[in-house]
Amino acid sequence: MTIAFAFLAGMTLVSALGVVISRNVVHSALFMSGSFLGVAGFFVMLNAPALAAFQVLIYVGAVTVVILFGIMFTQRPQARRFRTIVNRQFWAGFLVAIGVGAFLSYVFSVQNWGNVRPGNGPQSVAVFARNLLGVTQGTGIFSLLFEVASVLLLVAVVAAIVISRRRPSEQIDQGVEE
Amino acid sequence: MSQQIQYFVDALNATIPLEGYLIVGAMMFAIGAWGALIRRNAVVVFMCVELMINAVNLTLVAFSDYLPNAGGAGASYAVLVITVAAAEVAVGLAIVLAVFRTRRTVNVDEANLMKW
Repeated sequence: MTIAFAFLAGMTLVSALGVVISRNVVHSALFMSGSFLGVAGFFVMLNAPALAAFQVLIYVGAVTVVILFGIMFTQRPQARRFRTIVNRQFWAGFLVAIGVGAFLSYVFSVQNWGNVRPGNGPQSVAVFARNLLGVTQGTGIFSLLFEVASVLLLVAVVAAIVISRRRPSEQIDQGVEE
Repeated sequence: MSQQIQYFVDALNATIPLEGYLIVGAMMFAIGAWGALIRRNAVVVFMCVELMINAVNLTLVAFSDYLPNAGGAGASYAVLVITVAAAEVAVGLAIVLAVFRTRRTVNVDEANLMKW
């Protein structure tokens, strides 16, 4: 357990740092998928294998591909010096982030969580699905949230199409022959 | 000597305390916040926001597995958070594409038309 935890923590945090300080945007996207894979490993350690499968499918699969498409559409060849990829708040942002991380770690550490043991989560997919659909006693709110999430996805799909649609009156992008 | 080896093996097999997961989540959140603050490329800012969302997901699932009275609700919330994050990426990249088409750049500090 300790070896797996150390490996996953190192993978997650080093990949997250790679997203921030990598000079190439495509490398940032690949580092991000590595970080997501680390989080999926944490989900397996936390007795949520169904959630780990969702994580791999949605984040490592779909979100990374969508972001790579976004990079492909929007990046031009540009200077790759480190000063040009960050704005002037490099050290101020670093101090803010260190402050946030230290504060959160401190709060999590000083809180007395009691004698907690792992293994209370929904380990089987059946229990997990009953929780998510609000069938289990006390989880009725999830039946509402599930419907709200489905409506949200529909609205997001329609909005993405409407926003990124090229209107007939607009001029054609440079370099695109139509 | 064998006692020390046994001690070492026990330490390797010990269950991770809840604080371990929480602190990894907090550090990942801080790194994502740092990137969202300093990077100029809007796509990379999206990636850093995704990192922050994942850190919160990790914290939620850790709570749902460790706290006995949580009833496993954190895992269900994590599914909803994943849904919202996927919707956010779709709409956000559409906005980035629209901005790129009109301004020929995706640097967030060059889209300053409404800056006072």
